[in-house]
Amino acid sequence: MKTFEIKDLNLWYGDFHALKDIDMDIRNNKVSAFIGPSGCGKSTFLRVLNRMNDLIDGTKITGQVLFNGQEIYAPESDVVTLRTKVGMVFQKPNPFPMSVYDNVAYGLRVQGIKNKAVLNDTVEDSLKKAALWEEVKDRLSDNALQLSGGQQQRLCIARAIALSPEVILMDEPTSALDPIATGKIEELMESLKKDYTIAIVTLSMQQAARISDYTAFFLLGDLIEMGPTREVFHKPNDKRTEDYITGRFG
Amino acid sequence: MDSKHHLISEAYQRRKKGWDKFFKGLFWLAGFISAIFIILIIVFIVRKGIGPFLPSYPGGAYPIGKFLTGFQWRQDSAIYGVAFIVINTIISALGALLISFPISVLTALFITKIAPRSLSRIMTTIVELLAAIPSVVYGVFAAGVIVRWVDSLAAMAGFSTYGGNSLLAVSILLAIMVFPTMTSLAIVAINAVPRELVEGSLALGATTTQTNFRVVLTSAKSGIFAGLILGLGRAFGEATAVSMVAGNSMIGPTFNPFNITRTLTSTMLAGLKETQGLDYDIRFSVGIILMAVILVTNLGIHFVKDRIGRSMS
Repeated sequence: MKTFEIKDLNLWYGDFHALKDIDMDIRNNKVSAFIGPSGCGKSTFLRVLNRMNDLIDGTKITGQVLFNGQEIYAPESDVVTLRTKVGMVFQKPNPFPMSVYDNVAYGLRVQGIKNKAVLNDTVEDSLKKAALWEEVKDRLSDNALQLSGGQQQRLCIARAIALSPEVILMDEPTSALDPIATGKIEELMESLKKDYTIAIVTLSMQQAARISDYTAFFLLGDLIEMGPTREVFHKPNDKRTEDYITGRFG
Repeated sequence: MDSKHHLISEAYQRRKKGWDKFFKGLFWLAGFISAIFIILIIVFIVRKGIGPFLPSYPGGAYPIGKFLTGFQWRQDSAIYGVAFIVINTIISALGALLISFPISVLTALFITKIAPRSLSRIMTTIVELLAAIPSVVYGVFAAGVIVRWVDSLAAMAGFSTYGGNSLLAVSILLAIMVFPTMTSLAIVAINAVPRELVEGSLALGATTTQTNFRVVLTSAKSGIFAGLILGLGRAFGEATAVSMVAGNSMIGPTFNPFNITRTLTSTMLAGLKETQGLDYDIRFSVGIILMAVILVTNLGIHFVKDRIGRSMS
């Protein structure tokens, strides 16, 4: 099953051609990793999937982006609904300056859900899935900014999970974290994959190799190749992929 | 690598440390001078202001109870009661904030988040210009224009006014005067909200409006409330313009917005003739009351700020 099907995708920031003729399928309940050197377009591509690039003036997109068979850039497509189904975790943990509870409940509240029991259950359930519940269950009303960096990032994952999305996009989610916190997030991704489709941008090739089922290699706005992670890392089709993976450039 | 140590001159090191000491001393001196000024002013005001209530006061002490609880202020018959003036001051300032605060915050949101860049630049400049207009200009404007609006409004509501001079005119005037301060600070505070928070909210399926109210404003609340406090300070402290439209009632308090009023500052300013005697000295007593009112309201605002945006759970 394909969650996303992308065909002939081109994206420009003003005159800058950031993504060139991308074709890609993203399979459900798998972890797809996007790798490549800085500025290659992998984060831009990730942000195509929940239309976060809409926020940047002068962005132009052509081609097809189908989510469950529906074109997300069609005029009748609703970006708010899309984002409740395609959640996102950012590079730097970005909890809101409010309580732990309110952070997790935020997504539901902005969809108009006020029922206390539903909120309570969802908050607990999401924090458990994000492997954070045991650490914060006694401090739900504390300000989220008092948590450690790793806890904040897991809170952001819980916040995304609370809306029961189908997909979770992760934009270098561990780049601001120490190795122990990184390990916890990686473990978490392994368990989340049962319920969610995950797409992750990472600068760490070890991370991509450890956690992903599929790997896509981007270079200068082109998708060089995408395939099962094992194949991409062990016998890449393209010389450039091999050079990057073996550290000959980057 | 070659060591560069032999290039470092002893004399330069000594000079560097000397300058460091000199500037540290200079900063201490600057801090000391400003502290001295503040202390001198407070001591002067308090001494002058307490004087009239002491038995040693020439011409006999004015009863402090009568001053604090009095509801009349008659210069001509030497009756000085400040209680109703405190109430009037608070009402007119709060009235001004009630009008101005929401408009300021919404304007700041418009300028920072909604308006196209060129328009937002123009509007920012206008807001900054407004802040630079001297208060007497606002006063002349209020005395010629605002009072007429208030007068016609009163006529429609079936009230008559003293030429428009009224509590409402004071509040509208103050609202206009505090608007630039509060808006400027709100703009700075909103611009300081990290982009990541806005993106985080939008990525959870919030609309721009929900994001602005739930995340941007709550994250910017410290700066917005700093603007509120500065605005309130200006509203309490403004004398010249206020005196021109207050009407300076001799009794009160004034609750009817179309009635004339009297504020602490206009009381200190109005009818000032000689700089000695009870009629002069008691103005310092009013000054002490004014400072106390400002202090208490600021504490109140801090209390409110801490509660806003806290856990809703």
